[in-house]
Amino acid sequence: MTTLLTDAATIFRREMLRYRRDRAYWIGQLVFPLAVVLFLGLGLNDVVRLPTGADYLGHLASGVLALLVGSGAVGAGFSLIQDRDSGFLRALVVAPVSRTGLVLGKIAARGVASLGLVTVLLAIFAPFTSVGLAHPGAALLAILGVTACFVALGVALAARLRSLEAFRLLAALATVPLYLLSGIFYPVTTLPAASRALAHANPLTYGVDLLRYGLLGVHEIPPLRSALVLVGLAALSVGVAVAAFEREAGR
Amino acid sequence: MPPAATTRVPALETCGLEKRYGSVHALAGLDLRVSQGACYGLLGPNGAGKTTTVSILTSQTRPTAGGAHVLGRDVVAERGAVRGLVGIVFQEPTLDRELTGREQLDLHARLYHLPERRRRVAESLAWLGLERDADRPVRQLSGGLRRRLEIGRGLLHQPRVLFLDEPTVGLDVAARLAVWDHLRRVHAEGGTTLFLTTHSMQEADTLCGRIGILDRGRLVTEGEPEALKAALGGDRVALELERGEGVEAALGAVPGVIRVVPEPAPAGRGPVRVAIVTRDGPQRLPALLEAARPLGIRAVELRRPTLEHVFLHHTGHPFEPEQAP
Repeated sequence: MTTLLTDAATIFRREMLRYRRDRAYWIGQLVFPLAVVLFLGLGLNDVVRLPTGADYLGHLASGVLALLVGSGAVGAGFSLIQDRDSGFLRALVVAPVSRTGLVLGKIAARGVASLGLVTVLLAIFAPFTSVGLAHPGAALLAILGVTACFVALGVALAARLRSLEAFRLLAALATVPLYLLSGIFYPVTTLPAASRALAHANPLTYGVDLLRYGLLGVHEIPPLRSALVLVGLAALSVGVAVAAFEREAGR
Repeated sequence: MPPAATTRVPALETCGLEKRYGSVHALAGLDLRVSQGACYGLLGPNGAGKTTTVSILTSQTRPTAGGAHVLGRDVVAERGAVRGLVGIVFQEPTLDRELTGREQLDLHARLYHLPERRRRVAESLAWLGLERDADRPVRQLSGGLRRRLEIGRGLLHQPRVLFLDEPTVGLDVAARLAVWDHLRRVHAEGGTTLFLTTHSMQEADTLCGRIGILDRGRLVTEGEPEALKAALGGDRVALELERGEGVEAALGAVPGVIRVVPEPAPAGRGPVRVAIVTRDGPQRLPALLEAARPLGIRAVELRRPTLEHVFLHHTGHPFEPEQAP
């Protein structure tokens, strides 16, 4: 157990060193949500009336933050393929390192990175949108839950796939409908019944709704249900990721 | 000091080791035994099975058949223990290019749960001669420095056996010599068992006390480099003489000479060429020259068999060159 935590901390350290050095990435992560909120949000704010009662700007701002958390997490899972490509993964798997610790370290690092990003963007959005900290605990749980789910899914996928190209294609194919059908841009309750069913099968929907509850105080799904779904899925995907990774190493 | 019982355990031992990838037989029954403290070189052309051997011995790949032990530990059943005993320097780069050398070593120390990280890392950097470049990201370092860093990383946890898969491939001459120098020091100072694979005859010859030649998944011969070469039947001395009368009698009498073969001389007068096959060529050369002096020496050449000849002799085919430059 202690080795597991030590190993997770070691991997966490390494990921944080890499994050800290990648300035261009962080600029992109700040510019994209600002552009969406300023250009799309301010334009649509007076046009769109939402059934939840929230203003569109706040709805979009909180949704984009959830999108950043989700895509950042997929990217962190994806970094396992880059580690394989650079050869670093080989050095990692021959060390007597706990595979679970490895996956948890990656999740923790991404979780901290996303928390930092959301905090900075919240401070920028708060003066001119309705986002704030209505329920900080729910926001925290949403960020960590989405991160755990998607980092782990990314790792599981990355452990199976050999090439960067295949992963990019699959990630693009899988994530675009995932993002569009999660209530980021419009409430899922306004969707036709068929798409709404798909949205409810999408784990990200629960993360988006819970984060929105945390930041705006409004929700479409009971927050407790969202929280339970996220925690359950996170545990499940971490299990799948560790198993896939074990197999990868024991080839 | 390890107890006497463990010093007798071979560092590495394989028995009938086989590895199949689909229909390809990467290893076809490999029997190896490397004693502790040895510097063993596995020599062979590309595709001979060298990397597969290292992968199995370091618990990265499971054998299809047969068994392998590192210091008495089974590489399949006792994977965790084996991983802690060995260090590996991979053929391809395996450094995180975004981290600095110091961070890289620190990370490795943490992964192996080593105490006194800071001291170890500092000592390693000093030993590698990397202090000046320790805080630059790896992507800015030259190939030679990266290689040294990989070796330093492989040694950081003081493994009992260090595996090096083609440690100097792709390096320029100066960097190669520096890496060899480091490996000699590793071997001399720490008593670490070194197991290296190489397709460079020169590398095997200069570094290794014992060599195994691997061809198509099989060990074709094994021994000390000098013994392997000597087994081919001695050195050759080529002489060019003014006169050839009585040369066979004169030189054949020198101790150690196995035979004297005068090359057919061109018609008429002129220099005569003679090939002498002898044991211990360098030691016999003075006596040979003494004996040949009355015949008028014009030129001398001493040729020793190389590992290339050994390879050719045992496999029946020449050692393919690695690749076009």
